[in-house]
Amino acid sequence: MVYPDKMTTVEQAYDDLSRRSLSRIDGDLARLIYLASTRDYNTGKYHHDGLAARFQDEIAGQALELAHREIFLQIAARSLEELVHHVEVYVSSSPQSREEVLQVWQKLEPYRVALPVDVNIALAQLFVSNIKLALAILRRRYRRQEPELASRS
Amino acid sequence: MIELSSLIAGVVLLLLLMGLATKGWLAARHLQEPALETGEADVAQPCPDVFVSRVFSRGDWEFVHGLGTDDIQRLFKRERKNVALVWVRQISAMIKKAMREHAGVARQSKNLEFSTEIRIFAQFLTLMAVCGILSIAIQTAGPLSLAGLAHFVQRLSLRIVKVQGSFQPAPLVKSAGHA
Repeated sequence: MVYPDKMTTVEQAYDDLSRRSLSRIDGDLARLIYLASTRDYNTGKYHHDGLAARFQDEIAGQALELAHREIFLQIAARSLEELVHHVEVYVSSSPQSREEVLQVWQKLEPYRVALPVDVNIALAQLFVSNIKLALAILRRRYRRQEPELASRS
Repeated sequence: MIELSSLIAGVVLLLLLMGLATKGWLAARHLQEPALETGEADVAQPCPDVFVSRVFSRGDWEFVHGLGTDDIQRLFKRERKNVALVWVRQISAMIKKAMREHAGVARQSKNLEFSTEIRIFAQFLTLMAVCGILSIAIQTAGPLSLAGLAHFVQRLSLRIVKVQGSFQPAPLVKSAGHA
């Protein structure tokens, strides 16, 4: 089906997505989780209501997939120190307590769902491994901070 | 006499390389299964250079070392070792696939050049041997001091895959007149 009033290139949809949605999300990890959440678990297809209203469904899906892949590659290439910072930004932005989020992430490993389809297996393994390390580092850091904060108050 | 000793040394070296390649292959097969499975698509897709730089460099280790916690350091070493071994296994699988495909094309070829085939086979053997050495070295010493060898493997594997790609036959085009 052709929508003459809707813009048609993936690049335009990608720019629109970056400008309207992704720029409002704080941190690369949060952007990755957001983009992964637009993918249907059963079909693997991406859908975003706002984007689909302005572009053809297929074009919108391709733009989401492209953005997901790009943000994943950016995160996977980051140093462990930078990744720890991104995980910290993500955890701090959650309404739940930091300790609770870290504990659930370590147990359920929800970040595995954030992997794009057909991504290089070694790169995916590096991402998963680095997130695991970042969680362990942050938990250790927060545990050390707790007695310090308690003694101050 | 000198020529005979050179020949013997060459054969011994070749046997040693083949032994290391076999040992590395067996070691890679007995690795703990990673959480993510390797499929045909992964084998076809080479790993970006940034991966090798990240896994085999000391940058992240210096950060972890600076934290001063033994359990995090142990976790880091274990995790990096596993990731590096997954990469070696992926490279081995990629090379084996390229050689399988090359052998298939070579069987159908009518004008095989013996010297070219020997050169490709030697490269394949070298790479498998280096993968074997790398696999053993990662398991014993960890990946942090093996950046040079890892980059060599990455370059050579990409070259073999590229050469193999150039040997692929053109896709058959069905003409309208034929069923």
